[in-house]
Amino acid sequence: MPKLIKNGEIIENQYVWRQDADQEITANSIVSAQKWLSEKNTIGKVAGIWLDAGDGTECLQEVDLTQFNVIGIHFPAFADGRGFSYARLLKERLNYQGEIRALGNFIPDQLGYLLRVGFNSFQFNDDVDLDKALSLHSPFSVAYQGDASDPRPLFLRR
Amino acid sequence: MYQYDAIDQQLVEERVAQFRDQTRRYLEKELSEEAFLPLRLQNGLYVQRYAPMLRIAIPYGMLSSTQLRKLADISCRYDRSYGHFSTRQNLQLNWPKLEDVPDILAELAEVQMHAVQTSGNCIRNTTTDQYAGVIADEVVDPRPYCELIRQWSTFHPEFAFLPRKFKIAVNATESADRAATQVHDIGLHIKKNDVGEIGFKVIVGGGLGRTPMVGVTISEFIHRADLLTYLDAIIRVYNQHGRRDNKYKARIKILVKALGIEEFRSRVDAEWAHLKGKESTVPMTEFDRLAGFFSEPAYEELVNQPESLTTKLANSAGFARWFERNTFEHKKAGYRIVTLTLKKAGQAPGDATTEQMQKAADLADKFSFGELRVSHEQNLVLSDVRQEKLEALWEAAKEAGFATPTLGLLTDMICCPGGDFCALANAKSIPIAAQIQDTFSDLDYLFDLGNIDLNISGCMNACGHHHVGNIGILGVDKKGEEFYQISIGGASGHDASIGKILGPSFAQEEISNVIQKLMNVYVENRSEEERFIDTYRRVGITPFKEAAYAKAN
Repeated sequence: MPKLIKNGEIIENQYVWRQDADQEITANSIVSAQKWLSEKNTIGKVAGIWLDAGDGTECLQEVDLTQFNVIGIHFPAFADGRGFSYARLLKERLNYQGEIRALGNFIPDQLGYLLRVGFNSFQFNDDVDLDKALSLHSPFSVAYQGDASDPRPLFLRR
Repeated sequence: MYQYDAIDQQLVEERVAQFRDQTRRYLEKELSEEAFLPLRLQNGLYVQRYAPMLRIAIPYGMLSSTQLRKLADISCRYDRSYGHFSTRQNLQLNWPKLEDVPDILAELAEVQMHAVQTSGNCIRNTTTDQYAGVIADEVVDPRPYCELIRQWSTFHPEFAFLPRKFKIAVNATESADRAATQVHDIGLHIKKNDVGEIGFKVIVGGGLGRTPMVGVTISEFIHRADLLTYLDAIIRVYNQHGRRDNKYKARIKILVKALGIEEFRSRVDAEWAHLKGKESTVPMTEFDRLAGFFSEPAYEELVNQPESLTTKLANSAGFARWFERNTFEHKKAGYRIVTLTLKKAGQAPGDATTEQMQKAADLADKFSFGELRVSHEQNLVLSDVRQEKLEALWEAAKEAGFATPTLGLLTDMICCPGGDFCALANAKSIPIAAQIQDTFSDLDYLFDLGNIDLNISGCMNACGHHHVGNIGILGVDKKGEEFYQISIGGASGHDASIGKILGPSFAQEEISNVIQKLMNVYVENRSEEERFIDTYRRVGITPFKEAAYAKAN
């Protein structure tokens, strides 16, 4: 079973990311948000959904997100930073408190920023050495802005 | 100026360690070229035509003499004994070795400096008026607000991978806009509302590059407490909706234009409604803390125009000329703001040698409380010089090559490094600057022509701001040969405008001749005291065009 980094540890990945719409859906699938939205009455139980870059989070406004164990956010390229805003909006605007998982082509050197906007699990591509990635988990011990771990900017803590 | 505390220091030191590790992994081929690219860019490191280029941040242009000495020292030990001051108040080193960069950054951290976010698709160094804090007519000193923005933008976790680079500039006076705020992604004009509260007029979507645009006002007044939440809202909208399919259409100006300012504003307001009043609202204690770093130095009670000054002005035409052009009125009686120009003939605009940097640091210590500023026009500024010391400073500045009395004149050019260094350039820009400096060397003539901004870029990326030069020169590639397109009528101040292209491009050797023809049209048409730009605006492009392309008899 492929592994992932979650909450600072390397663990077994219990869910299956269904990147293509025509793949079989089971209770441990992470299915695309667009597919789930259009088939939600028939699709049955899933582990979670994933947002692609360009989907935005407004499409989930009316959805009860507590039914999902995980919401994935896909990075088509690591330089495509839309997912950073999506994670924040999921957590802060839609009040989703579950697992937020980075999927796709993000890189280990982005872990610090990803964690700060609210991601807590990371499903890297197969070629990434997870032990080495883990060592890049927290490049900075302080931050100027408020973030997922503490909404207060430094000026409220200084 | 701002002084790091233990937290600021820790951050830059952790950044050095992070980049040292990234560089090591790159050199050991653990990190791919593609993955290393944005990481090194966010540390100011480009790979250029012949060597890497390292862009060191000089936040809003403020430098202590200690910092400048460190830059001098670094330029000598790690580079070829010079550096280039850029239009965004930074310093570029053109020949560092990639493997030395972590050590350079470590040395910079020793003097509270860094190269964080000086490049890459992130929020860049915030710039402002080089006369901030020392002119009489500003609303308030913009520097504490620049520092607030610097801290907010540094390692902002959400905005490190934007569609494209993002530049913010701040202005605090009605009388001028020396920071070219209207051609920035966001321009902030500090103002007071009817009840005297401090806030910002916010301009969005300006920018140069391939599609030059003057920004539009998105809000007439944002209270200063709300500044950061409002900036977060704007950039969050941009981060999600800015184009990512074409880097030439990825700046915020394209999004603002595509949506229209009404729609863009309503999206920002909708986002802001969720953020306003939340944790990122800036408390008064923070404004007070930051303002404390920019308190006045120990000025003495002096009078304007002391006798030593008036005597020298009367007796030395050279000194009087320098005083008129290169010094500026100070808010305090008996003081003057002095620009040390980096526009000496024979030296690339904005370049300073190691020796000149050391000399400028010495002059700052001797004449101006040990502080300097870097200007958008690529000069250095001593902001607090006693008027009775001006003569001594002038003598010293002449010796160091800082006293070319042409500030604001035709030969005070803005010029990018161009094809001599830059991998993106289509053509060289420094030889054009040299040619113009050479041709227009008669000071009487330059003084007679008066204020003219001439800006040169070696390619469409417009680092030399050619679109907003009264005269703009753009290097273009024509079947492998370097040609130059000339535009006129650009301006970067409160009256910002984008220049119009005169017509077909010119060969390198024709440039000075064409500029001369444009000057002739100006001189023939101008009314008393009228600046070049005003004559152009009155008479239009036609006479200039006709003169530039007239066949010789």
